[in-house]
Amino acid sequence: MLKGIHQQLDPQESPAFFIQGPKPFSRLMFFCTLSLVMMAVDARFDYLSQVRQWFNTALHPLEVLASAPNEWGRNINTYFTSHNQLIQDNFKLKQQALIDNAALQRLATVDAENAHLRTLLAGDAPIIPQATLGEVLHMGRDPFSNIITLNRGSRHHITAGQAVVDEQGVIGQITRVYTFTSEVTLITDKKLSIPIQIERNQLRAIAFGEGKRNTLDIPYLPTSVDIKVGDKLVTSGIDGVYPAGLAVAVVTQIKQSQDSPFAKIISRPIAGVNNHKHVLILKIPDTPAATPSTENKQVLPRNNAQHLDQSVVEVLQKNNAAVDPHPATETPVLDAPSTEPGVAATPLGTTMTAPDTGTAPIAPEHP
Amino acid sequence: MKPVKFSTFLFTMLVGLIFQLYPWSNAGVIIRPDFLLVIMLYWLLQAPYHCNIGWVWFAGLLVDLSTGSLLGQHALTFAITGFLGLIYQRRLVLFNPWQLYLYVIFLFGVQRGLILLLKLFAGSEVPDWTYALPVVSDLILWQCMVIWFGELTRPKKL
Repeated sequence: MLKGIHQQLDPQESPAFFIQGPKPFSRLMFFCTLSLVMMAVDARFDYLSQVRQWFNTALHPLEVLASAPNEWGRNINTYFTSHNQLIQDNFKLKQQALIDNAALQRLATVDAENAHLRTLLAGDAPIIPQATLGEVLHMGRDPFSNIITLNRGSRHHITAGQAVVDEQGVIGQITRVYTFTSEVTLITDKKLSIPIQIERNQLRAIAFGEGKRNTLDIPYLPTSVDIKVGDKLVTSGIDGVYPAGLAVAVVTQIKQSQDSPFAKIISRPIAGVNNHKHVLILKIPDTPAATPSTENKQVLPRNNAQHLDQSVVEVLQKNNAAVDPHPATETPVLDAPSTEPGVAATPLGTTMTAPDTGTAPIAPEHP
Repeated sequence: MKPVKFSTFLFTMLVGLIFQLYPWSNAGVIIRPDFLLVIMLYWLLQAPYHCNIGWVWFAGLLVDLSTGSLLGQHALTFAITGFLGLIYQRRLVLFNPWQLYLYVIFLFGVQRGLILLLKLFAGSEVPDWTYALPVVSDLILWQCMVIWFGELTRPKKL
């Protein structure tokens, strides 16, 4: 009798526990535990990044499909751009190119001069960043995080940690790389900090993002610090991630309170953090410590700087010879790193200090 | 009413995922409904023989992957919300539309609240009132689902 009734019922009308297998509560407990474990693993360890990458690659076709309407809309828009508009744009761009070219000519001379001076001072070679052009795919799907997604990924040799800039200044840093896309955390994100320098007086500090307020905060600077509203902040380049001299923000507000030894300095990012389609992804500059001297040499622009530092070495050797009557002990130290022609920054640094310190250890050997 | 085909269920899930992956612009992100949540909740109540908490959890995982947030956050909140819907499933199908709307809004609110809680634990800041807006768009999407796939099925009177 009972069995007969069950056979007549539609599946959705029979009581839940006949169909659903395990009780909902035990299911819930199982999946809750699973997700808690996943969250812990994802937050603390790096195991899940590979899984994430696979999933993201698998989701890529869907992503392309989802953004197709947008793409069509833009293409149609481009197609119907008026002739007049194009002529105007072309004219404007030509003018801009002319101005830029003139500025670039000057820049080349200044670059060469800078390289000379740096080799003379035994400083590091100037960093000339290389860049990849990226396109913003979307502004992030999570309202909590300041993340944008770019259409360049590990396939295009992008690595986490690279700086992202637009034509005005720094936008952020690549924090997660997938096969075809990568995520950029904006400088306004709470998790991101950026080493900066005030352009006017070269004062160094670190700026922190303030989250959704779209501003940067510069904490831990004393109230007496020399900062004015309108000061431009540029990257200082001491972290080895951002090349020095990129515009970051403009100081908009300085609050000094009686009860705090620190000034509250608020600044606004210069780069159009939220309104750009194309951005540049900069290569991480090689840190001087990590680069062997030969790589340093390649970074130097082609000019006569090499002859120049060769002559500097000769002068120093002569000086050493004058100071020390037996330069034989000194020369291996000098020549060992400089067997290649054109001694670069690091070996030069040792030679510069040689006259001061060199005499002390050598003196006992030659009484 | 005929039972829903499993392929229909999978197809709506796929469509929901595509909408989730759509590159939403600034204002869009604010009012965007949680497509997968609404779709999964609907099927959980309408077709519990296809969609169980496991599926809802999986949908949450997909949302996690697409937003790039901590893996398991959305999955956890989806599973809890799904459970809250499921324990009342027998009664929900008997509710009149307004009661049902209220309960569904409650469920959407719970999910957003849980996400907020998890994000606050992780050190995020408190969002402004626009954070609650998607509940409204969720309800609109829910109504769309009801129009397309029918009211929640009431059991026949024996």
